[in-house]
Amino acid sequence: MKAAYSLWVMEYAAVPNYPQSGLIYGMHNQGTRKLPYCYIVIKGHGQLAMVDVGYNHKSHGEVLANTYGVRGWHPPHEVLGEIGIQPTDISSIFITHAHFDHMGNIEDFPNATFYLQERELSKWVWTMSLHRRFRWLMLGIDPADILRAVDLARQGRLVSVDGDRENVLPGVDLHAAFDTHTWGSMYVTVRNDLAANSQSSWVFCGDLAYGYENLRGHDPQDPEYIPIGLATGSQFNVIMTAEEMVKSVGGDVHRVIPPHEERLKDLFPSRITKNGLRITELALADGEKSQVR
Amino acid sequence: MIDDATATYILENRKCFEDLKQVASQLAGMLVLAAAGSKEALPDHPALLAARELFREANDAVPRAHPTERARPHHTHLLRAASAIGTALHEANRGLNVDRILTPLRAGYSELERAADALPGFEKVSYERACCGVRA
Repeated sequence: MKAAYSLWVMEYAAVPNYPQSGLIYGMHNQGTRKLPYCYIVIKGHGQLAMVDVGYNHKSHGEVLANTYGVRGWHPPHEVLGEIGIQPTDISSIFITHAHFDHMGNIEDFPNATFYLQERELSKWVWTMSLHRRFRWLMLGIDPADILRAVDLARQGRLVSVDGDRENVLPGVDLHAAFDTHTWGSMYVTVRNDLAANSQSSWVFCGDLAYGYENLRGHDPQDPEYIPIGLATGSQFNVIMTAEEMVKSVGGDVHRVIPPHEERLKDLFPSRITKNGLRITELALADGEKSQVR
Repeated sequence: MIDDATATYILENRKCFEDLKQVASQLAGMLVLAAAGSKEALPDHPALLAARELFREANDAVPRAHPTERARPHHTHLLRAASAIGTALHEANRGLNVDRILTPLRAGYSELERAADALPGFEKVSYERACCGVRA
């Protein structure tokens, strides 16, 4: 089957020991796992795009490293350089949600247009009008990211999307997942054969799933959806979105890609870079050479 | 090491810092909506009304603080932040002109960042219960 896009999951930092309970609802007192921080590269069909951009080290790096155990952060020019790409080459970026570790590094991509759900913006602002006792609703939001978003909008590089949008790039669709992990989360589908009824779809789900347990439960022989560890919206919506995502890839949960899932390495070819970060190769466009072999 | 008097200063001024950060966020949020052409970017948006109220409290409280020598740089940044954010808010009261508001707002937020770096106990982002940051 012909592939229009090469797809890579690029690790840019990691928490070596993250509590399972923060990721999979109900997994209290069941230890920790590695939590990689990753973004996605979509290359092909004359396009260079990404899903999310990671966090801004200047703003967050020291605190995250010293207090929250985040290790091994490297800048996009080093991470992307491993597959022969520079941040200035990226033309489109789809932000799954507005948390610091997904949209904080806007300024490293000066030539990209950013796509974000309008509801993610407007509900942010509405939340800010609430009393301080509602501040839990603002967790993970960095005021500096909001200022960077102002710059993007002034430069005409911020596209606020209202709901689903098909073919934002050829074969690439945006799907709203309102009131789930955040107010205006979205997931990105790549129909890698460019067909309307694709037989080769991939879903990049942001934090709508942290790990495969969210999508298939603990027993693959008897699958179930288990919510993520944190939802600003409702866990009902998280579960129904999981069903929607899994259905859209024909039931093959391994084609739904949670960027924080370390076990992608067990399913797809990958390599560790000189910086100790993993590159996972999901698909190769026709004529593209492997970056992991 | 933080001495007792400085620790007291930190505890007493955390709310001020948080309030100014919140006002900066509220203003920045309004600017995103305005710059993105949202129909919700109106002068009577609840976020702007909340910003005015919160700023009044913070602006009253900042000059009343009693910084120790150790805390003085922090307090200086807090005063500058209040002044710049006050200018941004004043501009916002005249209309949501992004260019006029953004410059003082950015200056004010930079001062808050410097304040956060000057003393422990003042966080730029609350990672404590954020999904992908957990205290090691």
